[in-house]
Amino acid sequence: MAKEKKRKQPPTDASPPPGDKREGRSERKGKKARKEKAEAILPSQIKNKDKRREVHAKLKREKKAQKRALARERGQSARRAEELGEQASERSSNCPRHLLSLQFLVRFGSDCFGCLQPPERQVPRTIENTREPDETVCRPDDQELFAGNDADEFNAVLKQHITPKILITTCRFNSGRGPAFIDELMQVIPNSHYVKRGTYELKKIVEYANNRDFTSLIVVHTNRREPDALLMIGLPDGPTAHFKLSKLVLRKDIKNHGNPTSHKPELVLNNFTTRLGHRVGRMIQSLFPQDPNFRGRRVVTFHNQRDYIFFRHHRYIFETKEKKVASKDKKAKASESKSESEKQVICRLQECGPRFVLKLLTLQHGTFDTKSGEYEWVHKPDMDTSRRRFFL
Amino acid sequence: MPRTTVVESPGCPPLRALTTDVLGLVKVVEAHTKPAGAAKVVETWGAPDASRAIVAASLADRAADPVLAVARKNGVVELLNPLNGDALAAVKTVGPAPNDGGAEGDPLATLHLFTRQASDSIIGTFLACTEQGKASMWSITKENAASGSDVGPSATWDVCSGANLQFCSVDHGESYAMFGGKGIEVNLWDITSCSKIWSAKSPRANSLGIFTRPWFTAGTFLCKDDHRKVVACTNDHQVRLYDTALQRRPAISVDFRESPIKAVAADPNGHDVYIGTGTGDLASFDMRTGKLLGCYIGKCSGSIRSIVRHPELPLIASCGLDSYLRIWDTNTRQLLSAVFLKQHLSTVVLDSHFSVEEPGETKSKQLESSVEAEAEVRTEKKKKSKTTEDETEAQVRKEKKKKKSKTIEEDEEQVGVVDHSDINGEIYARKEKKKKKSITIEGDEEQDSDGEMCSPKRRKSGERSKCLKKKSKKQLVA
Repeated sequence: MAKEKKRKQPPTDASPPPGDKREGRSERKGKKARKEKAEAILPSQIKNKDKRREVHAKLKREKKAQKRALARERGQSARRAEELGEQASERSSNCPRHLLSLQFLVRFGSDCFGCLQPPERQVPRTIENTREPDETVCRPDDQELFAGNDADEFNAVLKQHITPKILITTCRFNSGRGPAFIDELMQVIPNSHYVKRGTYELKKIVEYANNRDFTSLIVVHTNRREPDALLMIGLPDGPTAHFKLSKLVLRKDIKNHGNPTSHKPELVLNNFTTRLGHRVGRMIQSLFPQDPNFRGRRVVTFHNQRDYIFFRHHRYIFETKEKKVASKDKKAKASESKSESEKQVICRLQECGPRFVLKLLTLQHGTFDTKSGEYEWVHKPDMDTSRRRFFL
Repeated sequence: MPRTTVVESPGCPPLRALTTDVLGLVKVVEAHTKPAGAAKVVETWGAPDASRAIVAASLADRAADPVLAVARKNGVVELLNPLNGDALAAVKTVGPAPNDGGAEGDPLATLHLFTRQASDSIIGTFLACTEQGKASMWSITKENAASGSDVGPSATWDVCSGANLQFCSVDHGESYAMFGGKGIEVNLWDITSCSKIWSAKSPRANSLGIFTRPWFTAGTFLCKDDHRKVVACTNDHQVRLYDTALQRRPAISVDFRESPIKAVAADPNGHDVYIGTGTGDLASFDMRTGKLLGCYIGKCSGSIRSIVRHPELPLIASCGLDSYLRIWDTNTRQLLSAVFLKQHLSTVVLDSHFSVEEPGETKSKQLESSVEAEAEVRTEKKKKSKTTEDETEAQVRKEKKKKKSKTIEEDEEQVGVVDHSDINGEIYARKEKKKKKSITIEGDEEQDSDGEMCSPKRRKSGERSKCLKKKSKKQLVA
């Protein structure tokens, strides 16, 4: 029986259209069409479980193989078109589209005369690019935005009139991963000082920090020996941001981690687009000195994606390396043998320091004051009516 | 699919609001009937300058020569023309020396501009109060404004000493003023004689013996014709009704949620108040019973600094730290419009004599008629553009259309269309046809929505509120 199956399967593999199956089902009663029917039989119609499983697995495998072949074909044609397009672009450099990078060409370049047209790439619809339109997104031509920036609380630090000086403290009971996290945080943020919390109220600590010319105060809150919240307070009258902290991975738990140097890090802030995001971004920016030591090759990243702020800390290095071309086509190999020896500058990253995710819960106007504080932004559950609405 | 709920905003009736912000800008927001419902920023006055941030503003809402007064952070009070933004006068109110820059730590806290005019030569009379509790009355005459000479206050008095004054409110007749703040009980002052006539007393300590210090954040007079009933809101989220004729302790005290109340406004019906809190919650209370009437639900996420009720239309405007100006219907408690104004806003005032369109009931009819008129204009245009058509084809099309056409107007059009006999353009004509259809359908929809927008909802809500009133009365009786 299995043998028979093998013989019968090959014709079915080439994408049996759904219409066929239906026909097969309708013709099942006709005796002369028995063989055809057997080809198009659905695995769900087989009553023997072992057999059904076998047939089903086979069908699935074939489908997969077919898909892979299609993808390969598509990739090859795209690559070929790219190469041809490159050559053509060398020929005709007056076409403005060729001034753009090749990637753009692949994405948009379908109506470019004088060169070959690569197939149009479909851009997948993600939650980010189908985000709800938001009128609070900052525009680069907005004069009021810049005027507002000049007037806000972080201006003195960001214009380098004051060097940032950070005080780090904890909640009252700090244990578990809290102390280790603070150690690493202090290596990340230059000019930061740890002060034991003791039994002081936070308002007293704010006062203390104001008297000693600190520019920001960070409180790491721990719950059940696990850091779970971060409070950033701008001093002397800056806003107070309350973040939820999650997914904390300390340095020792990162594989192949590096150890940071004491250079001033570079800062990368990604995707802080709205007015609120802009403000939070500036607040984070004001924690770090504005003159990084590029020699240190140390970079701190705050990447905002769907209102979650991802923190990463890396060291990087640029290396010149011989380019290895793993060409699969044999005929392409001959043409690319020249470029194989080409030298290429690559960047290598090594992660160091903690890794965590922040989510903004509230942004309070003024320093920490729960009793009479005014909030600039509070996350309320009735704002979460859409997955595609973001606030940062 | 993502679950999204889109609440159709019915749009707001024509109105004009002025907002002031921390950069010292005055922005004018207007809503018109023509593009129905959308409020937009039409003008911005002033240059952005943080040292001239506006802390308070007040509008003398008159039909003839209205005046807007703005108090800036540096102690200057400016009188502006709210129609075009021209500066009428500027007075330095704070500080013994005018060249001091106003940085001696006693900035202005509140400002009230009087609506009644004593004489024609006076541009405006206002009551300004500093955070330390120094209240002063100023009258700016036209000669003073023209010559630029400094005028002194006509009267000054100390509301309190050394405490932090946070609000000041003047009653409808403009003869009494109420003050309150951190560490100051609610005070009632007679403006004409500059004397204190009443002050409140803190409530008794609770069963645990805990006594809270007074900290009032907002207050207003409840009725138009009665200065004896005042509503004051505290930092520990209480709304209190004081009856000054009856007793010094509050008559009613209601808790609302857990954040300090930052703004309050009274309804002209004499018993409702609207309150806004530090976390952006907006609610209305019936102060006869102290019952919560309902909350205003929108995506309001920042502290509310100012609420103002329109004198005629059933709507309120609120603004605050989330830099949105929001306009709400008080009957349905629905958000009518939200305008993003980019800065932290301090005050909003409504210009009730906005005269471009008539407010009120005639609005809906106007809307419909205007839409129809537009549609007609469009169709006429189409007729003109359709001079390039083939006669026979046009006839065929006419038959097709007749099947699909819904309105009489369209048929009339086709008659018009058939008359023109010209060469050219099957495809073009078809396109035209499609367009026309879509336009007429749109027009229908617009009309429908407008009709819905104005009448039935309001009526319903009116009924609801009536029910509520009945209930509350019953409770009173009980």
